[in-house]
Amino acid sequence: MKKSTKNLIIGLVLLVVAALLVGGIYITFGPQATHGSKGFVVNVTDSKGDVVTYDGKTDAEYLSELMEELKKQGFTYESTTSEYGMFITSINGETADYDTNGAYWSIYVNGDYGQYGADQQPVNDGDVFGFRYEKAE
Amino acid sequence: MKKQSKWTALDIAGMGIMLAILEVCKHALDFLPNIELVSFLFIIFTLYFGWQIVLLSWAFSLVECIYFGFGPWTITYFYVWPILIILVMVLKRFGEERPLFYAILSGAFGLSFGFLCSLYTLVVGGIGMQLTWWISGIPYDLVHCVGNFVICLVLFYPINRAMKQLKI
Repeated sequence: MKKSTKNLIIGLVLLVVAALLVGGIYITFGPQATHGSKGFVVNVTDSKGDVVTYDGKTDAEYLSELMEELKKQGFTYESTTSEYGMFITSINGETADYDTNGAYWSIYVNGDYGQYGADQQPVNDGDVFGFRYEKAE
Repeated sequence: MKKQSKWTALDIAGMGIMLAILEVCKHALDFLPNIELVSFLFIIFTLYFGWQIVLLSWAFSLVECIYFGFGPWTITYFYVWPILIILVMVLKRFGEERPLFYAILSGAFGLSFGFLCSLYTLVVGGIGMQLTWWISGIPYDLVHCVGNFVICLVLFYPINRAMKQLKI
């Protein structure tokens, strides 16, 4: 076998190993969902500061699934999917357009700024989620 | 005596055409997150035009910023693509124009894309924020890796051949 062919095969194997390793890191340290029924509260704060609250029990594992369930309670949203994950553009009819005025819909989890997009944010029993219309400074 | 510019009108026109190709290909596949032709095109362009493609990548990033808006993440565009171009310039002597070589390189770049982009969060929010940001995007990086690998493996030979026939 030519040396260059052998090197290519080694490179390919290393790429597969690296992909498996990275996948393992995600499984071990990535967001973990909880199964079963969980209590939740969702607060939506619009651009005027008015708050609408939704609460109840859910089997949803991720926030995006809970958002779908909340449609039964009158909650509406629009989103796009980008290379960074799910991006919320509109909630309850109010669109946040970053390009126009630096506005965006942020996610808060138990009072803290969310670290994940809605499609990756796990739902745990007793979680309080906040959607807030905010503007970049 | 006036100093002559190293750039000819042909160079500038070529850059414009390459920028247009990049933009069209980027936006044509925007509906598929992290499946993109941009990495492949930067590899091919770098093989034929060398270091000047770094400037093209900055022009491309600027157009992307105008299109998607400026934000703290904007800075990532300006260093991520030059990293790929530098890798191609450094490693091309080992490539021998073999599609599998560039497919592996493109796949590895796709796999590390999220990590490279997360480096700016290291400055903004520290190591904790950076790792959380990177880990949460790993599924997209894996898609990026497979997409880049397949696209480069399939397209490298015909596009490389076409470039040669154009006698660039």
